[in-house]
Amino acid sequence: MSDTEKLPKIGEKRSDSNQPLILPGIHRYQFFSNLKDRGWTLNLDRVALFGVVSALLATIIKPLLRGNPATIYCYECRACYATQDRCPVGISLQAELVVAGRVLDYDRFIRNGGLKCIRCGNCQSYCVQYLPLPKMFEVMQQETRRAIVAGIVPRESLTRGLEKGLVGKEFIDDVVRSIA
Amino acid sequence: MEFLGYITLAIFLGLMLLTLFGYIRTPVQTVLVLSTILCLIVGGLFRFTAYGWNSVALMPNEFLGGIILHPITALLTGLFLAGGLKASGGFEALKAILGYLRRSPIGLVGTLVILINLPVISSLPCGRILAAALLPLLFTFGFEGGLGILTKSQLIVLIGAFTRNSMGSCGPSPIGGVGQIAEGFLGSFFPTASDGILRAPQAFALMLGTAVVALFLKFISQKLYPNDVALREAPAGIATQGGGSEIRIKAPIQGFIALAIFVMSLLIAIFQPLGKMPVQSVLVAGALLMIVVCRIRLNDLLEGIILLPVTAMAAGFLAAGALAATGGFVALASILNSLVSIKALGVAGMLAIFVQFQTILPLSCARILTAALVPTLYLFGPAQFNFLSWSQLAIVMAAYIINATTSCGPSPLGGGGMMGEGTMRAETGFIKGAYTFASMAVMAPMAAIFMKFLNLSVFQPSDPGFARNIYMIAAFALVIAGVNITFILLGSRIFNPNVSRNFFVQLLGFLFSGGIGGGILAFALFELDTTKICQGVLGGIIAAALIGLMAPKTLSKRLTATLSGPTP
Repeated sequence: MSDTEKLPKIGEKRSDSNQPLILPGIHRYQFFSNLKDRGWTLNLDRVALFGVVSALLATIIKPLLRGNPATIYCYECRACYATQDRCPVGISLQAELVVAGRVLDYDRFIRNGGLKCIRCGNCQSYCVQYLPLPKMFEVMQQETRRAIVAGIVPRESLTRGLEKGLVGKEFIDDVVRSIA
Repeated sequence: MEFLGYITLAIFLGLMLLTLFGYIRTPVQTVLVLSTILCLIVGGLFRFTAYGWNSVALMPNEFLGGIILHPITALLTGLFLAGGLKASGGFEALKAILGYLRRSPIGLVGTLVILINLPVISSLPCGRILAAALLPLLFTFGFEGGLGILTKSQLIVLIGAFTRNSMGSCGPSPIGGVGQIAEGFLGSFFPTASDGILRAPQAFALMLGTAVVALFLKFISQKLYPNDVALREAPAGIATQGGGSEIRIKAPIQGFIALAIFVMSLLIAIFQPLGKMPVQSVLVAGALLMIVVCRIRLNDLLEGIILLPVTAMAAGFLAAGALAATGGFVALASILNSLVSIKALGVAGMLAIFVQFQTILPLSCARILTAALVPTLYLFGPAQFNFLSWSQLAIVMAAYIINATTSCGPSPLGGGGMMGEGTMRAETGFIKGAYTFASMAVMAPMAAIFMKFLNLSVFQPSDPGFARNIYMIAAFALVIAGVNITFILLGSRIFNPNVSRNFFVQLLGFLFSGGIGGGILAFALFELDTTKICQGVLGGIIAAALIGLMAPKTLSKRLTATLSGPTP
């Protein structure tokens, strides 16, 4: 039987005998290619899977290349939120800053007070994995500064950040210059 | 921009519902990516008009922010280890150990009960890790698997209950479990919340819920869908070996070593005796040790990887990221918030619906919606809307999280329960009624009661009456389990060959149990406030109606067509 003949036609019921056998009586359906009989077109599914895998790779490779690899290990468990009043500048959602640092989401970083962090390290003691949060925030602060200077960060994010007092004194000059 | 949120929310919900009901027949990954792209296009147009090109160019980064890497990588490394276990004969070793246990005083039943609860005992960050490792083993207990210890009906119950327990065990996990998301928020008031304030309520509710699932599968599902499990009974004349002679299982020494490495890796990952380290590193180290000691190949490890849940999870996170970036979750929160202004529902009714939301819309991983809805729930507390005090918020969080955590079980969109259905060779949707019923009627109210009467006392040591609270929990557990078991047994007695009538009977059971569940939740929050309890009952009934109507009436025609196209 040729390979083309083995393929089920669209709309045709899949056949158990075409699936790999992993144990007596158990066939394996998990491979994406085995779902080909379900789709509108094969290419749509392939493109979608390519998109998913690319997104995953981008999420992992980006922080590695940008020198912020510790962000990959964040559980996103939000244990750091217990820092509360012990954060001297009143940042309440530290995990948001970690995620923003991982994917370079400047707006999210500024919105959650990343630019006013003074890297005191108080939140680090609440992290269940003791991740180096101050270091991670510092890397992202520098990335954000670079983006602000290059004019990449939308003006609205910066204006909102300034209005709400979310910009620390070491970044104010850059932010004001970018808005002007 | 608020308007944009409603549009993207409508796109996401519309696509998900069309897929759930079988009108879109593509793998769930494709649908979720499609939702992401549509959000990108619509959101891009809005952003370009309002803020210019720079804002549009940063949108992909914001979408990527929805991806929670930890469960994906933990699952991949866990599957690695499971692949190694299979290749080195670890399953045979486990079978041999189970053989010893069967001959011990706890017998076969005790052994199976331990096996079913193994996921919640080990509490890994994704239930699929242990399910992938152990489901093939459970299959061997039947006639087709070779051991012939259990009948077809018993095997359905065993596999279904084990899968239920697995697909809820990620909630109480201390190494990146779903519950930790809510614990993090509760840390705002309870300083030690991240030590596991939600762990005990979840684990207790899950164990009780697993037992109810077993009964539901035995007495309801097998009667509702009698022809939808392709497992075979032993041929006439071949008796199962439950009480008779049994085969002595021999396992290779590598199998025992691999099993020991597997268990050690899990213990090190959970208890972290060697210092804080990512669970992924521990599991990969275990897998590499298996290669060296048990002489297996890298390819064996790779064979353990199951792609569907990994890619479905990633696609779901991406879609959630798109919704978050375009204001979809804000729109959802304001819709739920507006329910409070309906007098018949009020806060209690709205919360009774809210805690069931993820069971109503089950996706491939609970974290997809949890990461967005827990912050919304947090805002219902003293942080913003002041509907609830901190203690009340902790009670709602407990009920919400167990419901959310278990929602990947009944999801037909690549949910973990599909692994169980595959192993028992059932049509997709077979376990849905049992899983959603237990989550809604047993687990959510039980977790709320446990949190109210025990856990808050533990986390607030000044609270007196500890012993009295234990009695209260025991009494509520008996009532909740008793009422629901009565419904299950009554329902099974009045079933007849009329499918529509049976479905109606099942729906009635859902409505009654949902109402009771909503009432108990309202009692846990507002104690003996009659109005609030009535509102909770109404909210519970509305949620139960949505859940009950989503449980399939029949499987063979509709879902086979959904998955494979119309049968000629």
